[in-house]
Amino acid sequence: MIEPIGTYSLSLAVVAAAGGVLAAIMAFRFDSHAALVWARRLMLAGAGLTTLACGALMAAIINDHFEFTYVANYSERALPIGYKIAAFWAGQAGSLLLWAWILAAMTAVLIHNQKGSDPISRSGGKMGSDPFCFRERAITLAVMGGVNAFFAALILFAANPFITQPLPGTGTAVDGHGLNPMLQDPGMIAHPPTLFIGYAGFTVPFAMLIGALAAGRKDDAWILATRKWLLFAWLFLSVGIVLGAQWAYIELGWGGYWAWDPVENASLLPWLTGTALLHSIMVQQYRKSFRVWNATLIAGTFLLCIFGTYLTRSGVIQSVHTFPESPIGRFFLAFMGVCLVGTVILIVARRPYRLSDTALEIGFNREGAFLATNILLVLMTATVLVGTIYPLISVFFTGQPVSVGPPFYNKVVLPMALALLALMAMGPALTYGPSDAKRLFMRLRLPLAGATAATGVAWVMGLREPWSLAVTAITVLGIVNVFNDMLVTWWKIMRATKANPVSAMTRMIDDNHRRYGGQLVHLGMMMLMVGVAGSSLFNEKTTVQLKPGESTAFAGYTMTLEKLGEERRGNYTAVQATVHLAGKDGVTNTLLPEVRYYDKTEQPNSQVALEMGWKRDLYVTLAGWESPENGGTVALQAIINPLVSWIWIGGIVLTVGTIFAMTPKLLQQHPQPQTIPASQTEFATGK
Amino acid sequence: MNHMKVKLLIAGLLVGVALTYLAYAGVQKGWVYYLQVDQFTQDTQYHSQRVRLCGKVGTENVVAQPAQLTATFSLMGDSSQVPVVYRGVIPDLFKPGCEVVVEGQLDEQGVFQSNVLMTKCASKYSGDHIERLENKS
Repeated sequence: MIEPIGTYSLSLAVVAAAGGVLAAIMAFRFDSHAALVWARRLMLAGAGLTTLACGALMAAIINDHFEFTYVANYSERALPIGYKIAAFWAGQAGSLLLWAWILAAMTAVLIHNQKGSDPISRSGGKMGSDPFCFRERAITLAVMGGVNAFFAALILFAANPFITQPLPGTGTAVDGHGLNPMLQDPGMIAHPPTLFIGYAGFTVPFAMLIGALAAGRKDDAWILATRKWLLFAWLFLSVGIVLGAQWAYIELGWGGYWAWDPVENASLLPWLTGTALLHSIMVQQYRKSFRVWNATLIAGTFLLCIFGTYLTRSGVIQSVHTFPESPIGRFFLAFMGVCLVGTVILIVARRPYRLSDTALEIGFNREGAFLATNILLVLMTATVLVGTIYPLISVFFTGQPVSVGPPFYNKVVLPMALALLALMAMGPALTYGPSDAKRLFMRLRLPLAGATAATGVAWVMGLREPWSLAVTAITVLGIVNVFNDMLVTWWKIMRATKANPVSAMTRMIDDNHRRYGGQLVHLGMMMLMVGVAGSSLFNEKTTVQLKPGESTAFAGYTMTLEKLGEERRGNYTAVQATVHLAGKDGVTNTLLPEVRYYDKTEQPNSQVALEMGWKRDLYVTLAGWESPENGGTVALQAIINPLVSWIWIGGIVLTVGTIFAMTPKLLQQHPQPQTIPASQTEFATGK
Repeated sequence: MNHMKVKLLIAGLLVGVALTYLAYAGVQKGWVYYLQVDQFTQDTQYHSQRVRLCGKVGTENVVAQPAQLTATFSLMGDSSQVPVVYRGVIPDLFKPGCEVVVEGQLDEQGVFQSNVLMTKCASKYSGDHIERLENKS
């Protein structure tokens, strides 16, 4: 029963989405309202059918239908329900289905939004006063439908999760392979969907761009409409990346959170261009400039999202955690080619941007900082992209695939990230308008003094490493700048309005969600960079071999191996080391690193023992052991990761800041007008 | 060209030069040839530098001593093989027959000395072993 529901609803979803695209193009071509209504109906039907297909797969997983190859490969009877849900996106077919479903849901939201402000439906089936708006919406829908149809067709023809196989037995004698133990982690439940929401979210601004280009819009209103989608997608992509880094840190056991692996890079690429976009659309909005640049960035970000999915799912680049090579690669390449060529033709040939950009004065002002931010982010994108696909490029030149390792990225990307951090730190002191270096310096006097003082203190306390001194200076500059700016504005408001301090502060912040939300995001990014700098510059790593009862000194700790034991729990057996820890300050702790042997997999799975702290983490893994007859040696790997917690804290601050920037004003701006007695109203209106 | 554009051009050039240098330095320091075992054994120019080798762990004579943090095995290509000594933490997924990537250099005895070992068992993401469907318990 489940198999036909899944396959047929997917097939019909392709038909509905493709029909929707045709109807939307007809609506565009003939200015037909009826066609647009049909396009919307068909696409909503497509969204419903995709949901049905997802429901079918979920039902198959939860009810242990191992006749589906997909369910047999990624689930088992004993799997806890939370991980059964996560098994939905553990494999290629399921994760593509999730991508498609999120996209379909977003299409439905977009249709809902369009309807709410439709100029056509209010004018009784006629075209309305704004033909641009009508045509723009039609093409926006057509693009969404097109991407929907592509994914549904891709799943149906190249990665179908509803393929069945004959079962070797009946009843409970049959069981699945189970979920990879590395994926049995709470972080893994949330990480893929979060990333996919980000990826799919960038499709909407792309569709809006194509709509605006095709309709020949010459104003900048549409770019405003993309902002909330961009912020939304950017937030989910950011959270997805941080969750992935945390999963790698806790689950993979090598002590790091980022390895410049192609799959990690794939998610970083659209994040970098998306970040550039969030800044450059402000220039278009306020200064009527950067139009072609923004169009290129929106299209580029979308293409990088598709490229990321392609890279992760097709196995074209050798990576530690890509899926095996599969036929979906060709589909993706063709799709990206069509999108790229179509967009370039539209931008070049249609020329809706014939209106020249307003000439900007670029220099020591906000425009200059935004331009520099954009250039840096795009250069970082180019560097990471070239590094990631270098094995493919180098074959053409040397005949051998050459891969570039982390030193390449660290050497090239990190200095740019530091420059970006410096721009962020200057942020609140920058203003739109004429470039004035002297004025900027005056506004930065206090923060600069603070940064100098803090760096001096760090030097005196023994910090000599140049990168860490730079990060210290820039971070303190940024923090002092943000609070200095807030206090000055607060003081001015209090003086001007005679309001009490609390209401002046709340009003100041509430009046400018975008500004203060953005600054909170910047503070979060600085925390994150502090964490990255601390943990990568000052980490210490050792591997020790101990026998029970023996001790070793490491980074100010005395580590004593107390015992090695074996324990049976649930669906696995664990070999666990008990490590007693004594710090210099007299603090003691017991760490329990272990290796688990799950019943359903042959591979062991290491569980890290972690002592987290805001200053540093101690990270211990059980690397190996001998049986007592062979000497009983136990090998432990211990890593000190300074400041790594600030990466996760920065991620939370960044999330709060983005949400705040997205929310509308919370408080009424002005006090309610006083109720005027009825008699006076009558008098005033002359009744 | 006005004053403004000249300044921007100079700034742009400086940034460009700095980045090119960084990229060059990064590539000098960070690049490693990524080779299949057969390519490596045929071409001696790779025998005196640090490379990344991709191949399968041989099924015979694999000595993995997690407690001693060493593993000795043969890395198999289609027509040739390279003896490898790896020192470090042995990954969970390491086992005979598994596909791995090792980074290191050949020593005078012709043994590939490695301190980076990455496992890439495709089977962890997709396995179609129907025989495993049968419940063993």
